[in-house]
Amino acid sequence: MPFAVIDGLIKRYGDLTIFDGFNLTMNSTDRLVLIGPSGCGKSTLLRCMMGLEKIAGGTITLGDDVYININDRGKMSLNRKVQKEVGMVFQHYTLFPHLTVLGNLCLAPVRSRGVKKSKAREKAMNLLERFGLSERANFYPSQLSGGQKQRVAIARALMLDPKLMLFDEVTSALDPELVNEVENTMMELAEAGMPMMIVTHDMHFARNIATSVVFQDRGIVIEAAPPDELFNDPKEERTRDFLSNVLHFEG
Amino acid sequence: MNYDFDWFYVKKGLPQLMEGLWLTLELTMWANLIGLVLGFLVALGMLSKIKSLIWPLTAYIEFFRCTPALVQIIWFFFCVPILFNVWWSAELMGILALGLNLAAFNAEAYRAAIQSIPVAHGDASTALGLNAFQRILYVILPQALVIATPVLITNGIGIFQQSALVALISVEELMYQGRYIATQTFRPIETLSTVALIYFMVSFPVSQLVTYVERRFKRLTN
Repeated sequence: MPFAVIDGLIKRYGDLTIFDGFNLTMNSTDRLVLIGPSGCGKSTLLRCMMGLEKIAGGTITLGDDVYININDRGKMSLNRKVQKEVGMVFQHYTLFPHLTVLGNLCLAPVRSRGVKKSKAREKAMNLLERFGLSERANFYPSQLSGGQKQRVAIARALMLDPKLMLFDEVTSALDPELVNEVENTMMELAEAGMPMMIVTHDMHFARNIATSVVFQDRGIVIEAAPPDELFNDPKEERTRDFLSNVLHFEG
Repeated sequence: MNYDFDWFYVKKGLPQLMEGLWLTLELTMWANLIGLVLGFLVALGMLSKIKSLIWPLTAYIEFFRCTPALVQIIWFFFCVPILFNVWWSAELMGILALGLNLAAFNAEAYRAAIQSIPVAHGDASTALGLNAFQRILYVILPQALVIATPVLITNGIGIFQQSALVALISVEELMYQGRYIATQTFRPIETLSTVALIYFMVSFPVSQLVTYVERRFKRLTN
C-alpha cells in the first residue's frame, strides 16, 4: 500500500499554473529526491505537502488519511492532525533567534503538543547528543555555524516524531565545507528508516540517499527511477538534456 | 562678558526644582504607560486586515506625527474642554496629549518590528504544528519586542524631554519651576543651566542604556 499519494494536484499563483494535475506516489521505505530545472515546482510540491500553500485542486494522502483536498464549497481543507505528522526543514534554517537551541527544540512539543517540559528537554538532549550538538544546547542560533543551524533545524523537526520528512534545499545556503555534516545527518536519518522527500541540487548526494529520483519539469513527473538507472540510463530526452547540463560540472 | 555667577538662588530653589522634576517624571511615566499600551493596540489594529480600522488609525498616527507636540498640548488644553465639555486638570491634559503623541510613534515602532520578522518564521511555525495564536505569542511577539525595545526607550525618553512643553499650560513641572525661579531671581544662566543639566542627567544614562540594550539584544535578533 502506498504511503503518501499526491493525486491530481492543481496549484496556481495568480495566472501562473505550477501544477495542473500532478501525480506522485511514495512507499514507506522510499526516499524520493526531486530534481528538475529551477521554477519547475519542486519546492512548491513540498510546500503543498506541508500544507503551506493553498491548492486549487487534487488530494494529498498520508497513510490512510486524505489530509489535503478540496471541499464542497471549492475551498482547500486541511486536516491539521495529519499535517502534524509531516516535518519540514527549510533552506534558510528558520531557527527562532530569541530562543536557545534547546528552546527551539522544545517550543513546539511543550506549547502545542502538551509535552512536559522535563520530558521535552530530555528528548531534545538525546537528539542533540545523537547529532553531536550537546555542547551547543544553550547557544543561541546566532552563535552557530550554518551547518550546525541546519542540523538543529532537523533535530527540531524530529522532536515531533514526524512520519514523513521534507527537505527543501537544506544545503543550498551553506558554505561548501559545511554541506557534508548536514548531508551526513540526513544519511543517518535515512539509515534509521525515515521516509523523506528531498529537493536538492547536489546530484552526488541525490545518488547516495535516494531510493528513487524523480525528474519533474513544467509541472509533471517526466521520469522516476532508482538513482543508478536515472543517472546512468535516462529514458526521456528531457531528462538527458537536464542531466547533461547539471552533471557536466561534476565530471 | 563680565558676569558674576551666583548660585545662591539655585541652591535655595533646589527643592522646588526637585518637586518639578518629580512631576516631570510622573508625566513621563503616565505618558509612557499610555504610549506603550495604546501604541501596541494601535499597531495590532494597523496589522489587522480590517479596513475600517486601518483608515482611522492611520489618520490618528499621521496627525500626531505630523503636527508639533506643542500644538497638540495647547490644542488639548483649550479645545478638549470646549468640544467634550470635560474640565480636567492641566496635568491630565498634558498627560493625554503626550501619551497620545507617544502612542502614535510607538505604534510605528511596534508595527515595523513585527513586520521585520521574516515570513519564513510563519512557515516554520506551521511546519512545527503551532497554531496562529501560538505563533504570534511564542514566535512573532518575543522577537518583535526585542527589536522594538531600543526604539521604545528612545521614544520614551524623548517624551521626558518633550514634557517640558506642558510648562506652557501652567503645569508646575521642572521647566515651569526653572523658568519661575529664573524670572523671580534674575538669574537665568544659573537656573536654566541647572534645569538643562537635570534633564541631561536623567536622559543621558537612559540613552546609554539604549546602546547597551542594542548590543545585548543583537545576538537575539539574527
